Amino acid sequence: MSCSVLDEEQFRQCCQLLLQRSDQLGDGWSWEAVQGSEEGYLRKTALRSVPSDWGPLHDQEGFNFHPQPQTLCDSTGHEKEEQDPAASTGSVFLTAEEDDDGSYTVTNGSSLVLQYEYHILFSCSYGAPVLYFRAFTLEGRSLALEEMWSTIHPNYRLCLQNSPLNAISQQEHPLLGQPFFFFHPCRTEEFMGPVLQAASDQGRPVNYVLSWLSVVGPVVGLDVPLQYCTPLHSAVSLNSTKPH
Amino acid sequence: MFAAARFEELSETKVQSCQLKMSDNAESPTETQKEELHSPSENSATSEEKKKIDVLLKAVGDTPIMKTKKWAVERGRTVQSLAQFISRFLKLDANEQLFIYVHQSFAPSPDQEVGVLFDCFSSDGKLVLHYCKSQAWG
Repeated sequence: MSCSVLDEEQFRQCCQLLLQRSDQLGDGWSWEAVQGSEEGYLRKTALRSVPSDWGPLHDQEGFNFHPQPQTLCDSTGHEKEEQDPAASTGSVFLTAEEDDDGSYTVTNGSSLVLQYEYHILFSCSYGAPVLYFRAFTLEGRSLALEEMWSTIHPNYRLCLQNSPLNAISQQEHPLLGQPFFFFHPCRTEEFMGPVLQAASDQGRPVNYVLSWLSVVGPVVGLDVPLQYCTPLHSAVSLNSTKPH
Repeated sequence: MFAAARFEELSETKVQSCQLKMSDNAESPTETQKEELHSPSENSATSEEKKKIDVLLKAVGDTPIMKTKKWAVERGRTVQSLAQFISRFLKLDANEQLFIYVHQSFAPSPDQEVGVLFDCFSSDGKLVLHYCKSQAWG
């Protein structure tokens, strides 16, 4: 599509294409229809290991990680030096043997494993997909807003927290009525626009939802594998690389 | 597969890619413009990771165009590291987010190694990466 505003039908088509690819790759997305209607959303759950030195996270007994100093970033957002979590944290929690989806390096074996749930809905008012997500500890305790910030990669945190609009906040899920975190869609058109325009200039079709997801997903720990846009014949099933 | 060709210095005229109509207010970095991206010392990097691949950087939207577009980058370098390099090179604000895309308008994961991207998407011995800055998050 050449314009950076999506309509609901286009959203569904993009989702179906994404879904087909997800099935081929074993990436775990599903389509949740609303009461047998055409309306619905994409859903995926995933385990994610978050380094303990990213900020305050609570373990299953409610023990607070000793608050780490905010990761130092210079003006370009580049991390200055490695923190040493072992020096300050009281306990070592569940350690992921292997990074799920190879997302983030586990430092000093101290990290928290969280169960994530991601939903991709369509926003009529913004003409854009919206990412809703929530996270639970393995004991089933849901993450508070403050803790959620600790799960955002430090490289993105600076930009996000400086956003006057609170790019990530809590919101009632429009279809489920439960509290979720969500990525505000008001700026989606802004960062999607140039990319779609460039593709349109070259006559290349773009899957809006896939492109958008590849940008916002990593911010909240959702990996969108490269295989989504590599040719079919060279696709490798993700099942062969998953830890379990 | 691809030939691990030694990167050679290219004149600006050879490097000129398609004309992108956008403002070029990028300032040259104070240090000598290098065509090779030097990673921070990585003693643990394997020799495979140290092999370099040719990357062509193209600006999207009103993102400043880099004066040097063609770079030799170590295979083991991550997308995130490259984005940070470009941000520094262009002297972007801390509030500005830089996104990198492969040609199909797909943003590879920040932890993705450019060597892998090269293997998947290179043509004519080079990997074309599009970069776009945005105040996306507010």
